[in-house]
Amino acid sequence: MNAASATRGLRAVGREARRIRITPRFRGRELTLLLVVSLALLAGNVSLGATRLIQAAQEAGQQPPADLLVLASPGLLTIYIAALFLVHAALVLAGRRTDQILLPTMGLLGGIGLLLMIRLPQDLAGRLGGLAQTQLLWLVIGLTIVAGLAVAVRNDVWLRRYKYTWAAVGVALLLATFVFGRDINGARLSLTIGPFSGQPSELLKVILVLFLAGYLSENRPLLVDESTKIGPFRLPPLPYLAPMAAMWAIALGIVIVQRDLGAALLFFAVFLLLLYVSTARFSFVVLGLVAFVVGAGLLYFVFDHVRTRVDIWVDPFADPNGAGYQVVQALHAFARGGLIGTGLGAGLPSVGGRPPIPALHTDFPFAALGEELGLVGILAVLGLYLVLVERGLRIASAAQDEFRAILAAGLSLVIGVQAFIIAAGNLKLIPLTGITLPFVSYGGSSLLANSLIVGMLIALSERTREPLPPPRPPGRFRRLLDRGAA
Amino acid sequence: MDAAVLAIWVLRLLFLALLYAFLWLVVRALVRDLRAAAREPTAELGRLVVTASPSGEPAPGVSFALDAITSLGRDVNNSIVLDDEFASATHAALTYRGRAWYVEDLGSTNGTFVNGTQIDGLSPIAFGDEIQIGQVRLRLERARP
Repeated sequence: MNAASATRGLRAVGREARRIRITPRFRGRELTLLLVVSLALLAGNVSLGATRLIQAAQEAGQQPPADLLVLASPGLLTIYIAALFLVHAALVLAGRRTDQILLPTMGLLGGIGLLLMIRLPQDLAGRLGGLAQTQLLWLVIGLTIVAGLAVAVRNDVWLRRYKYTWAAVGVALLLATFVFGRDINGARLSLTIGPFSGQPSELLKVILVLFLAGYLSENRPLLVDESTKIGPFRLPPLPYLAPMAAMWAIALGIVIVQRDLGAALLFFAVFLLLLYVSTARFSFVVLGLVAFVVGAGLLYFVFDHVRTRVDIWVDPFADPNGAGYQVVQALHAFARGGLIGTGLGAGLPSVGGRPPIPALHTDFPFAALGEELGLVGILAVLGLYLVLVERGLRIASAAQDEFRAILAAGLSLVIGVQAFIIAAGNLKLIPLTGITLPFVSYGGSSLLANSLIVGMLIALSERTREPLPPPRPPGRFRRLLDRGAA
Repeated sequence: MDAAVLAIWVLRLLFLALLYAFLWLVVRALVRDLRAAAREPTAELGRLVVTASPSGEPAPGVSFALDAITSLGRDVNNSIVLDDEFASATHAALTYRGRAWYVEDLGSTNGTFVNGTQIDGLSPIAFGDEIQIGQVRLRLERARP
């Protein structure tokens, strides 16, 4: 064989590899589900449009028009559904054997959120011609992120190798918010850099899961090793507990400085869940819960804003027009909704042209859905979140190694826990903490961060086996820790 | 008016019904996935983890994925080569029969031990049991998913 034919052979191999890589793969299940999503959104939109027509006719004292079947906002709906199918097309063309359920589920949640934003007064928020248009813009950007990650991310070395870099970025983001953040309603949540402003805690939750996945997968054997004994407790070597303590301190810091109870609760819950997922030690969970109860008790007695929240939760009717107003109105909304709701567009008797619940579009979309779709509707919405979590845990259990498993479990649990925190807060099951309902609430930061999560989950779910990256010699930080432990 | 009210009702119920249609389709797909995953045979049947090995070959901590038949010994033709002075050339075999693991001593000089007890001939072992061959200790573990 001469050199020329060898080169030809190599080229042929290269061509072969490239050809295999971009073979489109039909995603029938995703297509079917997306069609159902489109139908559901269409039905919702028509329902909203018809309700509005009848309301307008009643206000004018006329008979409702004969032709009721109109779309409330044909433009926005068309753009959204088109965006969903474009992402589907991108995934088909990429030809990877990835999950086909996450995208339609996210699409339906986002679509329900969009319907809600179309239905609310348009001047509640939003720079771009109103609430719904801004929300649609963020949804489309989010879907682009999903498509980008799901198509392009084939290698996770850049994620697993730089875990301390990610952690540093997260801490920097947190400190920047502490120092430069703007206070809104007494909570320091938003950070403005140049023309952009956003809520760093939404991005932080993704970074937190990344760091924990890297740290826990690398140090699992050490965490399970019980070499330190303190009284009846058997603990892992103390230096390896430092990040755990740091995590607890960060959660407390968020509550104290940022007054962001929701984010603190979310971070700590996800941290404990991942600790349990990776080590299967129930004692860690018990220890974490004890730390949580101690911390929460301290905060309750020391800080006013924590005490206010808990007092509202215990008895919102003590001050129904003041502190307890939001929660009381939300409870009324759920009550009005009943079993199947008032119908889209028919709920929420407004007070002077405003919805009765302040911050309805960000903190209380679950109450709005409860009123207009009823118990049946919100159970379906909760079911959609369960589907997201189930998919994430399945991806985790099928993952090739611990890093991917913990990452997939963590990413999906973040969405699940966040949905639980805000839904339970709306329902007065736990004290209300301001946090967004993933994919439904209005807000760019939240949508982008959750899109990152779904995109990464789809990328992680690929079933073709690729070789794992080679193990790395321990870095300087690790050696330092080892010396400390010795 | 009645027709309008009826239309609204139908639309509302249709929207909710479609939400549940979606959920039903998804749950059906999830159940199918789970069933398929349960049927799928795992590539490996178990793992053998080296817990002690004075000679360093195999190194302690190394884990081997197991096929149905694994031979252990000092000879290089064994599935797992144990470079230990007290191991015989063809020392023992680990076999997966039906649904259980068995270890068999193949007439070694120094014997094969399971959890500290010497075995003669074929002996069943379970996950978590420790096999000692010469100075090398190996623990049988579940396959990794």
